[in-house]
Amino acid sequence: MWSRTFAGFLLGLLLSISVVLNLNLLLPIKEATMLLIGLLCAFPIWASCQVWAYTFTSSKKAWQTLTLTLAPSALLNALLLTLRYYS
Amino acid sequence: MKRDALKALTNAHAWVGLIISTILFIIFFAGSLSLFRDDIIAWERSPHFSVTSDIEQFSLDNIVAKVVKKYDVDMEGGLKVIFPSVKEPIINLYFEQKIAADQHLDQHLLVSADGKIIGDGDSFEWANFLYRLHYNLHIPEVGLYFVGIVTLFFFVALISGVVIHWRKIISKFFQYRKDGKKDKWLDAHNLIGVMGLPFHIMYAFSGLVFNLLIVYQISYAVALYGGDQGKLLKAAGVVDIHLEETNIAVPMQGLDRLLLTAKRSLGEVDITRMTIDHFGDESASVTFSGFDNSQFSTNKEVTYHIASGRELYLTKNNNDNNLRGGLTVIANLHFGNFAGYSLRILFFILGIGTCYIILTGNLMWLQKKANLRSEKQNEFGLQLVKAMTTGGFIGTVFATAVGFICARVLPTDLLDRSDVIGQIFFACLGASLLVSLAIKAQQQFSAIFLKITALALIMIPILDWLMMSSGIIAMLKAGYFDVIIIEVILLSLALCCWLISSKLLVPTEATVEDDKPSNPLDMAAQSIGRSRVSN
Repeated sequence: MWSRTFAGFLLGLLLSISVVLNLNLLLPIKEATMLLIGLLCAFPIWASCQVWAYTFTSSKKAWQTLTLTLAPSALLNALLLTLRYYS
Repeated sequence: MKRDALKALTNAHAWVGLIISTILFIIFFAGSLSLFRDDIIAWERSPHFSVTSDIEQFSLDNIVAKVVKKYDVDMEGGLKVIFPSVKEPIINLYFEQKIAADQHLDQHLLVSADGKIIGDGDSFEWANFLYRLHYNLHIPEVGLYFVGIVTLFFFVALISGVVIHWRKIISKFFQYRKDGKKDKWLDAHNLIGVMGLPFHIMYAFSGLVFNLLIVYQISYAVALYGGDQGKLLKAAGVVDIHLEETNIAVPMQGLDRLLLTAKRSLGEVDITRMTIDHFGDESASVTFSGFDNSQFSTNKEVTYHIASGRELYLTKNNNDNNLRGGLTVIANLHFGNFAGYSLRILFFILGIGTCYIILTGNLMWLQKKANLRSEKQNEFGLQLVKAMTTGGFIGTVFATAVGFICARVLPTDLLDRSDVIGQIFFACLGASLLVSLAIKAQQQFSAIFLKITALALIMIPILDWLMMSSGIIAMLKAGYFDVIIIEVILLSLALCCWLISSKLLVPTEATVEDDKPSNPLDMAAQSIGRSRVSN
């Protein structure tokens, strides 16, 4: 149980930051509004990832699936931040 | 959802609930009482002072002149005045007193509406003790984040609970099987959980925003603003009005005139506070802020340069920033201050209902473990959960009752009075946990402990009227009903404790017929006994 807890807690946090960051970088909305939308989305994403981690019967599967979900979002973060840096 | 996944999630729901149960109970119980924080503050201190309903006649210039005459106010620290209100007739004044070149003392003075300094505000901190218990458990530095993490897992328990119960959420909405014990607890758990779901989600989410906002603040600052926290705060609507210090002393006068100007500028507003930066310096500025009571959540604020009366900043809508506006909405929802007492009473009932959900969750877990074969049971684990449930839950209510009694009976001039009350609270809670760890007959212990708690709660109104009757009558005459409100709340809690206790003491048919304990706490205790015999 502890391993699935850590998987959901850590990867859920990273995933919530990553998804919200992508929203901030992609959506053409006013800065303060975007920060608020990010905040409103971030905690439910984190908690939902934690719940998702608990639905796996093995902790290895939980780590694997959450990491695989995080990877494309993190790659998009890297791409968007690079584009932003050079634009 | 697949059966295995649902089973894993159900186990996780029970596990998470059990791990966070005692802390969550304390958070919700203290939070429910903190909905009436202003009333508890008035309950504790207003009977000691003569109160007046004439709260509009105070003079800021008069108050500041008196403070300057008596204290050396530190220019660096600023000065804050919380205005009297229909809830609280006493003015709260905060500033830093210079006591040496690099040393200062935080002062919190109580000032009457006619400008007299009537007491030390730090002696009456019981309501704030409960409030801090709610949001950081009085754990220095990391308490806020610890409570935030517990809140995250409360959110997780909510979501997982909804997922587990989803297929039956409509069909079994009103189901309450009062005969079977486990069914009864499960149905009560589901019934209150589903009916209070919007309330629970709001509290879980808003609590997370207050306690763990820093996580996203740091990540935003690093990823979006290149590590520049200042840029992020600017985008978040934080307004920094800074005038360079001149080190030219000027008298802090003309504040009443500026207050009138502020009222005209802000329009519909209930100004609640005044803060002065660079107190005593030529660069000093004063900010008046308050709420627009005609709106759901609108903060208004105006800042003036005191020496010239020049307006430096004005906002009539939450610093004209959507994030600030959104956070104000979240805060208003959390504190329940967008409506009157009826809303707070509803929130209080739902808060205590959440405590019941936590309790039924633990009872179901204990029942499940008590039904296991003795060799599968963890003796210490069971005893610990029992102690958490009995000593932790009832102990929290008991310690709170003792705290209220101490807040009423301890002399107001006692050195570190508020700290002493806090230490007594934790001593009572700790002792409750230790005693319940040592006791095997949990049902009888719970019943007696609940009766003692009920008696302690009933003692509070009695002590109020024995010790403070003239002060309370003066408050009632001036139209302040805080003491009565708090007494009704405490008596309601006492009634709940007494009724539950009476229920626990009544032998059920099962107990008479089968000699089986009717309570999971005792079933667990009996199982431990069996395992000891078999060992």
